[in-house]
Amino acid sequence: MQGKCGLFFTTYARESQVFHTGFQKSSLAIFFIVLLISPFFLSSYQVSLLNLINIAVIGAVSLNLLTGSCGQISLGHGAFIGVGAYASGVLTLSGMPFLPALILAGGITAMVGMIFGIPSLRLKGIYLAIATLAAQLILVYIFMHWTSVTGGAIGMGLDTPVIFGFDFDTDLKMFYLTLAFAVLAVIMVKNVLRTKSGRAFVAIRDFHLSAESVGINLFYYKLQAFGISSFLAGIAGGLWAHYTMYITPEQFEITLSISYLAMIIIGGLGSVLGSVFGAVFITLLPEVLSFIADHLSGFFPNISTYFLAMRDGIFGLILVLFLIFEPDGLARRWQLAKSYFKLHPFAH
Amino acid sequence: MKRFMQFILLATIMACFSGVAQAEIRIGLISDLSGATSDVGRPYADGVKDAVKYINDQGGINGQKIHLMQVDYAYNVQQALAAYNRFKSQGMVALQGWGTADTEALVRQVARDRIPTFSASYSAHLTDPNVAPYNFFIAADYSTQLRGVLNYLHRNWDKDRAPRLAFVYPNHPYGLAPIPAGREYARELGFEIVGEENVGLGDMDATTQLIRLNRNKPDYVWVGGTISSTAVILKDAERLNMDAVFITNIWGSDEQLLSLAGSSVNGHLGLQTGVIYGADVPGMAVIEEITGGRPQMTHYIRGFASMLVMAEGIRIAMENDELNGSGIRDAVRTLRDFDPMGLTPAVSFYPDDHRPNMSVYIYRLHQDGMELLAEEELERRDDWLGK
Repeated sequence: MQGKCGLFFTTYARESQVFHTGFQKSSLAIFFIVLLISPFFLSSYQVSLLNLINIAVIGAVSLNLLTGSCGQISLGHGAFIGVGAYASGVLTLSGMPFLPALILAGGITAMVGMIFGIPSLRLKGIYLAIATLAAQLILVYIFMHWTSVTGGAIGMGLDTPVIFGFDFDTDLKMFYLTLAFAVLAVIMVKNVLRTKSGRAFVAIRDFHLSAESVGINLFYYKLQAFGISSFLAGIAGGLWAHYTMYITPEQFEITLSISYLAMIIIGGLGSVLGSVFGAVFITLLPEVLSFIADHLSGFFPNISTYFLAMRDGIFGLILVLFLIFEPDGLARRWQLAKSYFKLHPFAH
Repeated sequence: MKRFMQFILLATIMACFSGVAQAEIRIGLISDLSGATSDVGRPYADGVKDAVKYINDQGGINGQKIHLMQVDYAYNVQQALAAYNRFKSQGMVALQGWGTADTEALVRQVARDRIPTFSASYSAHLTDPNVAPYNFFIAADYSTQLRGVLNYLHRNWDKDRAPRLAFVYPNHPYGLAPIPAGREYARELGFEIVGEENVGLGDMDATTQLIRLNRNKPDYVWVGGTISSTAVILKDAERLNMDAVFITNIWGSDEQLLSLAGSSVNGHLGLQTGVIYGADVPGMAVIEEITGGRPQMTHYIRGFASMLVMAEGIRIAMENDELNGSGIRDAVRTLRDFDPMGLTPAVSFYPDDHRPNMSVYIYRLHQDGMELLAEEELERRDDWLGK
């Protein structure tokens, strides 16, 4: 592991710690304290954005584990999130309390994800992407036509989450729930990457033949990656379903899968921190663009119309610029910024 | 520094006064200006905006101006949700929504927050107050429209055998919505259903589906898509020399279709729930004046009418001294045969029934225009509510 300047490890246990210095721990603690009290100073709109970010973080870290760390491209993540949403919806409507329903929904999504992960033994790269695209289409078809369970085109109305009698019926309350799950998801993925499985994922991503020749069971670990990733996608879906309180098949179409892929590419493939950055970036981008359009319209009355029409173009342009100038994503930019302050005034 | 402090003081005082003087009615408008449905989303949003302009130019509602807050959500549910929350924190009392995806995703939230919502998603289940207590729209729902045209065709059928009917629709929530109701009512009236095919909203070819349908020689084919897929279907049908009369639904029949599909629209039927530009109704003079005589699409007219109906609800709520979400909702429910300046059939809402009316306009489509054939009115049957 890359040590910090002037930081030496004398044991493996020390080296494999998540946080190496007290400074890291205290900055993170301050960040969390600020995050926890921030909703009291923000408007309900801003808190609702934080909720969307928290849910996106769970989806993004889960996809990053599968695609960024294990190299299994998935274009079906949006549908897996949908499986979680419908599963937790059906379970809570049948009378199961929210928390077990959410966990079980994660389990069901993991099963579904693993079934669609089976072709990954034979298929790689773009071929696997197409196979997962098939999963996306099949699952949305099922959401739309299994009317007795999913409500079909009409959709399914749900209630806000209730845990031990406490109703998470406002954005503020939902914030703490979604944040808790986002933190758990991040910790989970971070730790999975430090285990034998995580190293196997990275080995498979880097070169499957070498991985196999050192004794890694490709099928087992690929399926495991699909399983863990889909489990978390299911949790994200369950939270989304109970946050919006109404789910329809349209919410889980291919555009959702693509926006999650954009998150991990912009954030940084294979990086947990990158997934968080990507989720924040993609969720806030349309809001920031709307904000700019609103304020520009004060000076140029008709500019918002043109600006809004250009929005998709701006979004695409940002994505392309990232791919060209920072293919390792925001996580790499963050590293560079940190190194700059650490090394200043020396160049190396 | 002193001047800076003076400036700050002045700005603060002005901000306070603008807060006091801010007696305006805040309405949110979620539009699709750049997304998948922007071709019809733009004219609809323009209609809503122009209606607000008209109302404000008339002095507002009981002297209070409407402040319209618009967001382009690009047909993305997450962005619609964010926009809704933003409007809510800015003091919105009612919402003008748009499509199926956002309206359905917000059904429960608007009920919880008591924000009456007028949308352009005409799914029948939104008319059931038990499911969607705060949702309204001003056009007959998709199922009612389909039942209306079936009623018309049945009444004008003069052959000895049963009329043969087929359905073509996209495998999409919007396309699927009226099909069960259509099937059921067609059987009730004695139609013979001879085929069902799927043509996607973005499909560029429908030949295989139409060849299959043509084998069963349908007399009528219901087309439940949007403009582009409808144009594809009509053109392919013309190429295959199909005899059937095609019925294009509300989002699949407008002025764009006529130019896209050209001669292939001739003789087919198009459904509308509002008048077309240039119709001889009082509202058209207003629209012509606001738009400087530039022709507008039918969706614009429905957007305009939707805002007029909402404004009437707000007016009644203000007279009841209840300018808030539930006050407006209750006021809207007292509307009986409210006429939005002739732009759509008269609108009534009831506490247990949010169907605005049971009327559909049937137009005969021609390359160079639409000709009103009939206004079909159904009875307000209880067993149809929400289906």
